[in-house]
Amino acid sequence: MSFRILQCVAAISVGCLFSSPSFSAQSERFPQIQPLAASSLVLDIAHAGKQLVAVGERGHVLVLNDKWQQVPTPTSVQLTKVFFLNEKLGWAVGHDATILHTQDGGQTWSLQMQSTEIEKPFLDVLFLNEQEGMAIGAYGLFYRTRDGGANWTEEFHEELLAEEDVSYLAELKNSDQAAYLTERASLLPHFNRMIALKDGRLLLVGELGLVAMSADKGQNFTRTGFDYDGSMFNAIQLQDAVYVMGLRGHVFKADLSLAQWDEIDMPVKSSINGVMAASETSLYLVGNAGIVIQLNQDDSSSIVTRRQGENLVSIAKDNQGNVWLSGSQGLLTLKP
Amino acid sequence: MLEKLVNGFESFLFRNRAWVVSIFILVTFFLGYQASQLKMDAAFIKNIPLNHSYMQTYLKHQKDFGGANSIMVAVEDTSGNIFNPNYFDTLKNVHDQLFFIPGVDRSQVKSLFSPSTRFTEVVEDGFAGGPVIPADFATTETGLNTVRDNIEKAGIVGRLIANDYSAAMVSAQLMDFDPQTGKPLDTIAFAAQLEKELRGKYETDKVKIHIIGFAKMAGDVADGAKGVLLFFVIAILVTAAMVYLFSKSIILTLLPLICSLTAVIWQLGLLTVIGFGLDPMSILVPFLVFAIGVSHGVQIINAVKRRVMDGQSTKAASASAFRSLLVPGGVALLSDTVGFITLLFIDIGIIRELAISASLGVGVIILTNLILLPLVISFTEINVPPQGQPTSDEVRAEAIWRYLAKFATPKYAIVVIIATIASYFAGLEKANQMKIGDLQAGAPALHQDSRYNLDTFFITDHFSITTDVMTVIVEASPEACTYHDVLTQIDEFEWLVRNTPGVESTVSLASVAKKVNAGFNEGNPRWEVLPRTTASLVQAIGQIPTTSGLLNGDCSVMPVYLFMKDHKAETIETVVAKVKAVAAKMDNDKLQFKLASGPVGVMAATNEAVAEAQLPMMIYVYGAVFVLCLISFKSFKATVAVIIPLYVVSTLAQALMTMLNIGLAVSTLPVIALGVGIGVDYGIYILSTMSSKLSNGMPVQQAYYEALVERGSAVIFTGLTLAIGVSTWFFSALKFQMDMGILLTFMFLVNMLGAIIILPALAAVFWRQPK
Repeated sequence: MSFRILQCVAAISVGCLFSSPSFSAQSERFPQIQPLAASSLVLDIAHAGKQLVAVGERGHVLVLNDKWQQVPTPTSVQLTKVFFLNEKLGWAVGHDATILHTQDGGQTWSLQMQSTEIEKPFLDVLFLNEQEGMAIGAYGLFYRTRDGGANWTEEFHEELLAEEDVSYLAELKNSDQAAYLTERASLLPHFNRMIALKDGRLLLVGELGLVAMSADKGQNFTRTGFDYDGSMFNAIQLQDAVYVMGLRGHVFKADLSLAQWDEIDMPVKSSINGVMAASETSLYLVGNAGIVIQLNQDDSSSIVTRRQGENLVSIAKDNQGNVWLSGSQGLLTLKP
Repeated sequence: MLEKLVNGFESFLFRNRAWVVSIFILVTFFLGYQASQLKMDAAFIKNIPLNHSYMQTYLKHQKDFGGANSIMVAVEDTSGNIFNPNYFDTLKNVHDQLFFIPGVDRSQVKSLFSPSTRFTEVVEDGFAGGPVIPADFATTETGLNTVRDNIEKAGIVGRLIANDYSAAMVSAQLMDFDPQTGKPLDTIAFAAQLEKELRGKYETDKVKIHIIGFAKMAGDVADGAKGVLLFFVIAILVTAAMVYLFSKSIILTLLPLICSLTAVIWQLGLLTVIGFGLDPMSILVPFLVFAIGVSHGVQIINAVKRRVMDGQSTKAASASAFRSLLVPGGVALLSDTVGFITLLFIDIGIIRELAISASLGVGVIILTNLILLPLVISFTEINVPPQGQPTSDEVRAEAIWRYLAKFATPKYAIVVIIATIASYFAGLEKANQMKIGDLQAGAPALHQDSRYNLDTFFITDHFSITTDVMTVIVEASPEACTYHDVLTQIDEFEWLVRNTPGVESTVSLASVAKKVNAGFNEGNPRWEVLPRTTASLVQAIGQIPTTSGLLNGDCSVMPVYLFMKDHKAETIETVVAKVKAVAAKMDNDKLQFKLASGPVGVMAATNEAVAEAQLPMMIYVYGAVFVLCLISFKSFKATVAVIIPLYVVSTLAQALMTMLNIGLAVSTLPVIALGVGIGVDYGIYILSTMSSKLSNGMPVQQAYYEALVERGSAVIFTGLTLAIGVSTWFFSALKFQMDMGILLTFMFLVNMLGAIIILPALAAVFWRQPK
């Protein structure tokens, strides 16, 4: 049984006729600030200048001062990613196609976009400067802004469709416009992660072995020579090497040409969700089954820790030098 | 009128004394046989307030979700690592053995070896999965390694496997009734079977068996209760020695003891006759009956002895003692009985049983010690030194009575009353802090270092599970779980309640569905949400079987499990208050959050029932005592003089509970009623002597002095006897008996002091001499 198919069925049953984002305020019956926010599911940690900001389930946003402090947000949906352009400006994205924005380093948040009709989550957000940004997500969800998030417009990256899907869609477009839109909404793979390489190119990784590159700020992507079928969840550049990683402990490495990907042997078979440069020459990878792995430039690797029964999603270092992990048990420090 | 009746009764009984005594002997043989048939009996259902709204919810859904009556068996490998062939063989045997013990709900036996223990994992093209223990499992190294991998994939570490892999769990639900015979489950026999079939067969140096659950606890309590026999023997011996010191006569020592034991036999026999068993909770009743019997018997022998010393024949002295004590003794015993009967108003089975068996016992004492005892004495010949030179003992006693009589003078009375008021208010402050419920971790009926509690601590230390579970039942319409908004509300409820101090973790259909949805999305935690589309939601819910206990067949009922830090009353109150507050805002036509099931849900209901019962019980018991005193004294002043010391002492007893960290629970709630019911005896004996003298115009001090001379030694003696009878429980293997022992000892002793110190001071004020 393929869950890919099941998800398509699920999405098709409602379709995607979204045109203008609708905004819904969160119910005010119960306070959002709760003692356990820092120890429930936290999905991403980002640097706002020197400060760490984390996001998680139920619209939780946490800021690290002496300890993690929850700040209020205008949503209760799960937030999947947070991105800071500098110490002030940041965006967080999540389910129900939600985009939040902060102008004060994560202390206060406003809603830029949210739509329950889209029924797809954003899975990553990337800003190139104060004006230009992109939010990406499930089934090729792709929104772009050129005004710092005041307006977001949808883009469909047809160039990333499989060949047979291109001709199928072209046929459908002529015969049945509604069916065309419905199908189009679910044919692209999930876009899981987009990073900017040091030379300005964008690297997009996602479901079904999607590893694509764009040299024009994400207008057009081309698939790289990547031939593994599983999903990639994250990517990072370390010196002159680019790493992508994902399902069942699969990690691949390429040089900056991105032409050839070599698989690196991993000591575990758990999906890898998060990555951070541990030093100039090594990475920390975190993933399901609570694994933290150190991967060195020479492709040698070792298990740093294994937190049974937990999933780890993200990893970041604070200005004190503490390494923070986030995941199903919330935020915790990595004890070497 | 009453006097005439008593006189007529007396002459009838004493004329036919041989016949009457023969009848008593016959009845004793019959009831003695019945008593030998008495069985220990402890049923879960008796411990819960069935009519409480939580328990109504509990009973309503018990069939779908099992109740609070479960058993957990942790099989520990003492090496700290379970992955060896010997261990797995033992674990399988334990699983199979538990499965076949009658009373176990076989569909609910869970362990590594149950077929429902499966793992699933995400692979490139979907899911892979199977039973954690494969069909071709063999205890080889490869086989064990496969199982170890599967255990991690199945996510059962902490539940079925200890967090440090040092033990594994076999758990089962028990049925309240045997489905074949329809008879209630014999909990104590079941517990004995667990001990024999599991621990007896499979515990070795290498493998330890830890068993917890209500049934096992009840069994251990019953075992501990058997140790009570020793205390009973000790209590009899000490009492005998005291009676001898008091009476200086072997015959006068033996007769009240024999009559009191007769009362115990009758009481136990009557229990069988009316179809009751002896609950470990009620095991204190024979002690009480014996002690109360002896104390009334002492009043009789004291009266007889005094009359013989005055020169009467033993027979005449017995008849006269009977006449003078039948009414005050009868009133005192009646008020004891009424004190116990008030406990019937409490909606908890075992407290009602206690009420019935105690009132039977006390009622029986009227027959055995107020009637039989003087009759039997009349057959004997008592030799006492005739009235002459007072002995040194009598001189000393007289000095004491003179001294005590000063409490009945205004000067001393004021001091006593001020001291009483001061200690009352000091006590009241403490008494108001009295905690409801069980204050200790583990099974509160047992000591902290008992095997059962050590097993509990082992399991809570090594597993993430706890027996301190409260279940909130979500009631909705059929197919409710296919609606996103229904599950979202359950999810929000669960989250808000999890954020309550005392809640360690929670689980519900909503939180599990989120994890399953992540599973359907390549195990990506970013998909750990409730999907908005019905198709995806149904797909996730479809993976969760009803055996998970998270939903019923048509998913109209979905429990939310709250795993709690402990079951202290404060913890329970905090969580219950939060659940009620959140539910009040969330409840609507489609969805209701209802308290409560699970062991802690039962405790919450019990605590509330106990707290609610406390005030009415006190009102009833004091009301009854008030009415009875009013009838026997026909004086409002006398009644108040008896009741005020009692009330002060009950308040001080509650203060003592606070100070000793004893909570008001099923076992301690009856103590105050018992203490008041019995404590009133002293006041009645003293005042009944005083009141006729007072109404004849005798000064209070003189009247009190004469009452002391006549009954003082018997009253002091009674207090000591009763206290000794119950103080032996201090050494009981059962924590609740120890608590009851401490409190009753306090009530008996201090009530006695109240009657000889506070009562005369009040009398001095109430019957002030006109200047």
